Amino acid sequence: MAVSVASHGHDAPHDDHGGHDDIIYNETRDMRLMGFVLFLVSDVVLFSSYIFAYIYLRNSIQPNWPPIVNGHQLPRLDTAFAAFNSVVLFGSGVTMHYALENWKHANKGRFNLFMFFTILLGLGFLGGQAYEYAHAQIGGWSGNIFGASFFTLTGMHGGHVAVGVGFLIALWIQAQRGVYTQSKFFGLTAGTLYWHFVDVIWVVLFFLFYLW
Amino acid sequence: MAQRVVKPKTNLGPGFWPVTAFIAVLSAVMVYLIESMPLPIGLIQAGAPADSIDALFRFLGAVAAVIFNIVVIYTVYFGIVFARPKGAPANTIGVQIHDAPVLEFWWTAIPTILVVILSIYSVKIWADLQNSQGDVLTIEAIGYQYGFQFRYPKLDKPIDEMHLQLNVPTTIHVTSRDVIHGFWIPELRMKADMVPGLINTIRVTPTVPGTYHIICSEFCGVAHSTMRHDVVIESQQNFAKWFARQGGSSGGGGGGTIPIAQGKVDLGQKLFGQKCSACHSVGPFDQKQVGPGLGKIFNDPAHPKLVNNDPVTPQNVAKIIQTGYQGDMGVMPSAQVNQLSNPDIANLVAYLASLSKK
Amino acid sequence: MATVAPGVPTGPYHAVLDHIHPEPTSFIRKYIFSIDAKVIGIQYMITGAIFFVIAGMLAEIIRTQLLSPHGAIISAATYNSVYSMHGSAMVWFVVIPLLTGAFGNFVMPMQIGARDVAFPWLNLVAFWIFPVAGVILFSSFLIGAPDAGWTEYPPISLQGPPGTNLWCVAVFLIGISSTMTGINFLVTMYKMRAPGMTFTRMPLFVWAQFATTPLLFIATTALGAALAALFIERVFGVPFYDPKRGGSPVLWQHMFWFYSHPAVYIMIIPGFGIISEVLPTFARKPIFGYKMIAFSSVAISLLSFSVWAHHMFTSGMVPWLQLPFMIITMVIAIPTGVKIFSWMATLWGGSINWKTPALYAAGFLITFTYGGLTGFFLAAVPLDYHEHGTYFVVAHFHYVLYGGSIMSMFAGIYYWWPKMTGRMYNEKLGQLQFWVTFIAFNATFTPMHWLGLLGMPRRVATYDPQFQFWNQFATYSSYVMALATVLFFYILFDSFRNGKKAGPNPWGARTLEWMVSSPPPYYNFKKIPAVLAAPYDFGNPLPYLGLDAAPGATEATPTSVSHPVPTY
Repeated sequence: MAVSVASHGHDAPHDDHGGHDDIIYNETRDMRLMGFVLFLVSDVVLFSSYIFAYIYLRNSIQPNWPPIVNGHQLPRLDTAFAAFNSVVLFGSGVTMHYALENWKHANKGRFNLFMFFTILLGLGFLGGQAYEYAHAQIGGWSGNIFGASFFTLTGMHGGHVAVGVGFLIALWIQAQRGVYTQSKFFGLTAGTLYWHFVDVIWVVLFFLFYLW
Repeated sequence: MAQRVVKPKTNLGPGFWPVTAFIAVLSAVMVYLIESMPLPIGLIQAGAPADSIDALFRFLGAVAAVIFNIVVIYTVYFGIVFARPKGAPANTIGVQIHDAPVLEFWWTAIPTILVVILSIYSVKIWADLQNSQGDVLTIEAIGYQYGFQFRYPKLDKPIDEMHLQLNVPTTIHVTSRDVIHGFWIPELRMKADMVPGLINTIRVTPTVPGTYHIICSEFCGVAHSTMRHDVVIESQQNFAKWFARQGGSSGGGGGGTIPIAQGKVDLGQKLFGQKCSACHSVGPFDQKQVGPGLGKIFNDPAHPKLVNNDPVTPQNVAKIIQTGYQGDMGVMPSAQVNQLSNPDIANLVAYLASLSKK
Repeated sequence: MATVAPGVPTGPYHAVLDHIHPEPTSFIRKYIFSIDAKVIGIQYMITGAIFFVIAGMLAEIIRTQLLSPHGAIISAATYNSVYSMHGSAMVWFVVIPLLTGAFGNFVMPMQIGARDVAFPWLNLVAFWIFPVAGVILFSSFLIGAPDAGWTEYPPISLQGPPGTNLWCVAVFLIGISSTMTGINFLVTMYKMRAPGMTFTRMPLFVWAQFATTPLLFIATTALGAALAALFIERVFGVPFYDPKRGGSPVLWQHMFWFYSHPAVYIMIIPGFGIISEVLPTFARKPIFGYKMIAFSSVAISLLSFSVWAHHMFTSGMVPWLQLPFMIITMVIAIPTGVKIFSWMATLWGGSINWKTPALYAAGFLITFTYGGLTGFFLAAVPLDYHEHGTYFVVAHFHYVLYGGSIMSMFAGIYYWWPKMTGRMYNEKLGQLQFWVTFIAFNATFTPMHWLGLLGMPRRVATYDPQFQFWNQFATYSSYVMALATVLFFYILFDSFRNGKKAGPNPWGARTLEWMVSSPPPYYNFKKIPAVLAAPYDFGNPLPYLGLDAAPGATEATPTSVSHPVPTY
């Protein structure tokens, strides 16, 4: 859907033939933006449902957290490492912002640079999560409710990041092919929104699993 | 083409007031019947709270009957009286009215008032149900696939019969050994889900002797349809006689020596996860779930006695697993309910001992 | 572009709406993989009708088993799967797709003066998920269909037959379809209304779809989360719901009902919209209380998110929490009652043309009110302690789902059949079908109220012999309902053979879909009209400017008739 949104026929890279094409573009862009935002709203509900489940389950074994399994209380997660990984992710949000700004100001070179770093940092975050998964000593995904909620929620988030990296790569390719112009670049807007959404979700997850 | 506007013969329609009068009379008759029927639900009221629940049912039934009459009869009446007459031209239109603020105000305000009254009444009945009327008897009911067992105070083992005493306020704690069941006594109008890992509570005061039904009201598997039981409500003397018979019986299972020395830690660990961990953690005493943490049970100077005041020894721990516990601190199902054999109990004791050594 | 009188807003989206894409030519692009919302709407209707018949046959198996207290038509295990699949299919594969996907797609774009929905390709994908998910659902019968009801409470559902996993997948998939439709429709109604069509000039069917969309894309996702968790717990052992592993069965109930209560409003609010179209058309007068009906739909939709735990009063939730859920549930009765009274007032003073759609709309008023009132009995917590999990609940929800949703769909199908097919159905047979259905439906489900109150729980393959008479009564009545359904499909098929050709506007209605030919042209409107007023003022000329002659119309073109007249 991302690609079809980004390369809808109305985005075809021809010059504006007077105002008519512009009006059509702006109207369909508004619709696509609204549709994309509503999709993100439903995605928020998806995460919220599991966040509710986590809070509910954690509350049901108060005050034991992390849970006690086989006589031992599970360790807390590595907050320091996750904080570092979070900075990586938020950094990619900053670079994405500047990528879009540069596109709007027709600085294609800077756009390319910032996109590159966004994708790199996104991949770095994923690598960090892989490390975290390998080293977490909380009994695995199916061991207990800690693993169940942690790996499910962060796994869903990681899945969204991975899809997002794919989305950004596709957008970058489209940009190179000239699909977007300085005034018509809805795909890039959508990609930026999605990327910031992924950041916001991570803020909440970081708080819930590492700080609380 | 010319249009004709329908002009009813009276302001509101021909025969509107007679129909309204009919609705009023019919409603009054129905309300009277509902209020004077001895059993609005048609089922005996075997005690509290069936009577107050039925009273709420009656009241709501009366309100609903009036509303239903208004909707049905006016709809049918309007449908007949405002049907386009056979000869009228097809382009006849109706009265071109969009709204009537005063009417709309009242048909919003009156239902609102009714909702307020009904919610206050419902809250009142609800509050009565929450307050224990001075528990005299507390029982536990445990659902399993596919039956019910009951634990009574001062009885070591759970039993398969449920008897209640006339005029004795009774609290019934319900839970389940496996999946969600429902504990429903229709004649008392009370129901609670039997949820594994939770204890739900209903409060009743039986007042009419007889044999009634406990019906499983929550789908629980292949034999859900047949999962039901009797509950006997009887006088205090008859109850005492029945109760005495239960106390002495050795009702199958249980009993016998528990081979503590042959207990196996790994089997006990598995059993603990299956049978005990819903209510007990393996942390220290204070890490309570439903019951206390058992991780230090043999090694805890702060808690030298079990909940039944027996000193903490392997034999007493085995005994309390066997008999279960029911009293001020709550309820723990017995070994029979938990389907623990004597070797199982020995394995559990061995496991607990191994935890306490850590 | 149409010239527009001074003072009429041209609207910001005139440019978009002026596009007419060339019509596809291949059979596959026209009828199989079509992006035309009208074709997609008909595809939803056909698919939903097929699942309706299958789920209805499952219902007859249930009723036949219950003819005798110790019925042995099928084993208890099979019986449990039969009712679980009956419920799951009816909710997710019949009522929701028909009311949103079928009626929404076919009618709504035309009613707002649009050519299609905002995202036609998304519409296509959303539709095709539907039959695929349905096949997945029913294939569960091959490996052991789910057996714990459409609600699949753990822990029993954790032990359920292997088909439970397919159930999770199928419902998850159709949830995605629902979410896509909700987003698509909301953007369509928000952004693509014809010039001049302000919100308060929208037809009430559009308001109803509008109010339903947040439920589609917000609530449905919550169900997806619950289903995915159940699936991974069953398949990978990830503990969410098993109390023996730290999970909570009540957690499932919260997650499930947070969606499933709004779901029941997905299943009725579009039906309300249908009634709001049918009654003014056949009474030939404005809908009474337009604004109250419109806003009450939105209010009900928003309130529906806050009442889910009224399905959980006996589950052991924290007692004081029962009160707000009880009270808000009772409060929802007020906007609903306002609608009922407004619809009755629409009949009052009318010049009623009693055709089959109107009969179904009137029947709806009666049976839906009945169902709504019994809902109040369930909302009161002390009464629910007795009624929960019994046939009283079964009676209540069949009254609102059949007596409400399905009756409104019958009204809608008879109403829009001429528009969709260009054919009239046999009116006499339609009226017969209505009366048989109405009487047989009431006969089937009324006894279930007292069966429940007297002590018959739900989801049982056998029952106490004292309940046999009324069970038999209900079963035989249900057979009559089945015959009425067969008659219904006969009427529809017969209309193709013997039905008179329908003109653009056989009912003399005033909403935009009736301003084009029957069936409508591919592009709906050659030129998008401008809208001057809400459509229900039968005393006034049509409030549209710039309508074209409908190609192929056999009557005078609509725009030359400023006051449409019913010809049937």
